[in-house]
Amino acid sequence: MSVRTPRTLAGRYARTAYLFLLPAILFFAAFFYLPIGNVVATSLRTGPQADQWAGLGNYAQALGDPAVRHSFLVTVAFAVMVVIGSIVLGLALALALDQPLRGRVVFRVLLLVPYLTSVAIVGLLWRNILDPELGVLNRVLDGLGLPGQQWLNTAPLLTIAGVTLWQSVGYTMVLFLAGLQGIPETYHEAARIDGADAWRRFWRITLPLLAPTTLFVSVMAVISGLQAFGQAYIITNGGPGDATDLSVFHIFNVAFRTRDFGYSSAQSVLLLVVIVAFTLVQLRAGRRGEVTY
Amino acid sequence: MRRTLLYALLGLSGLVTVLPLLYMVSLSLQTEAETLAADAVLVPDSPQWGNYAELFTRAPFGDFIVNSLVVAGAITLAHLLFDPLVGYVFAKFRFPLRDTLFVALLATLMVPFFVRMIPLYVLMANLGWLNTYQGLVTPFLMDAFGIFLMRQFIQPIPDDLIHAARIDGASELRVYRSVILPQTRPALAVLGLFTFVFQWNEFLWPLVATTTPEMRTIPVGLTLFNQEYFTLWHLTAAGSVILFVPTAVLFVLTQRHFVRGIALTGLK
Repeated sequence: MSVRTPRTLAGRYARTAYLFLLPAILFFAAFFYLPIGNVVATSLRTGPQADQWAGLGNYAQALGDPAVRHSFLVTVAFAVMVVIGSIVLGLALALALDQPLRGRVVFRVLLLVPYLTSVAIVGLLWRNILDPELGVLNRVLDGLGLPGQQWLNTAPLLTIAGVTLWQSVGYTMVLFLAGLQGIPETYHEAARIDGADAWRRFWRITLPLLAPTTLFVSVMAVISGLQAFGQAYIITNGGPGDATDLSVFHIFNVAFRTRDFGYSSAQSVLLLVVIVAFTLVQLRAGRRGEVTY
Repeated sequence: MRRTLLYALLGLSGLVTVLPLLYMVSLSLQTEAETLAADAVLVPDSPQWGNYAELFTRAPFGDFIVNSLVVAGAITLAHLLFDPLVGYVFAKFRFPLRDTLFVALLATLMVPFFVRMIPLYVLMANLGWLNTYQGLVTPFLMDAFGIFLMRQFIQPIPDDLIHAARIDGASELRVYRSVILPQTRPALAVLGLFTFVFQWNEFLWPLVATTTPEMRTIPVGLTLFNQEYFTLWHLTAAGSVILFVPTAVLFVLTQRHFVRGIALTGLK
């Protein structure tokens, strides 16, 4: 920070600053703030052109609509599965890769590859792999002497959560690895000298000190889980029935298939409120639970 | 014993990661009959390289590629142009409302894309920008994340460098171009890589903002491909490989930047 020269960069450069900022101010006004205002305005309207005043009618309708409630519950269940999977698998892989193993860089890079693929690839590829008739997964299971499954019929939500994890776990692993590398080795050594075994060291030292990382991972996983779209659009088309009718997919259909912009906007705002509330609660819970050493 | 267990765990997860992608390559080289066989074919009898050529005759796949390159390229260029400039202003200038503007900027990080989706669609429809490059590109020209990243990176650059340049009579734009910008090269590399990869893979907005096949990007072309034109798995897989390869090559060449970038910033 500039302690010695706070004045020289001040005042008289304000014009330059605003000149440089102008494109950004216009951009964020037009493509963030205006749309946010518009989505709220549209949510208060109804009709095919969204030109009739509806007041809070769309909100009342959404809150009472079993299809909306169902899609919301499905979405929350999906997000919970993704969060738990991200933490457990991501942490397990990070712990394994934190050991001085040969070739760990290769594994680290390898596990990150699916994260960099499009949801279009992931969705189409797994739709093929999971197909009960021609998919390769059941054939592999058969080769191992295990029974094949109708993955997308018996446990569709769990299956698309699994596919999502397949794509994203490398990312959480990298975050956990960064967290693990931030823990000073001396803590573990001290505990070892005191006779704590590996299990105890994990629960008493590693896990508490990883709390900020775990919080960050879970917030990110909740946020992205609650707005998953491609999985439902590509793999299951919301089905079977409405079993994977994720909220954003539901909103997308109301907006672009039934063309009810007022109703879909109200649902967007409701989902946004839920996401922001979730995030704030998690951050607050995290602050309270934070451990200092 | 413990090492063996670790290697087994990692080996297994490596296989689970890689095998589906290899299977995608295998599918892309199978005949249609092989993709529809009752028992999935793991390795095609004779690789059908012609599948890749067939893509271009069965669908406007050449258009998809050009569209993806133009859209992801333009957005990446815009980020590299604007994000460091705006980051520099927030890092080094003092001006009225600075903190308010910065908070307003960071607040946009809390807005998921689906919230903007419907109003942006209506806006683009009113502007007549659906099915155009400007329609695909403009909503993503900047984001708070890139600006924040650049601000964090520029803040530690000593003010004295800036003063020295000013005393030497450099214009403000010159100070930025000759003093600040060269220092930000590593951060720009990370920013450019991430922006390009995520935009290359973007699915929802191109799906919403395009209606004619000729304007689709590869990810959207691929899925509609799968429902509209034909459900031919060998071609779908070949298209997926074409979408995947540039990202994979870029990633392998720069994986250090990627891994560090994620670890430092917790991107996305």
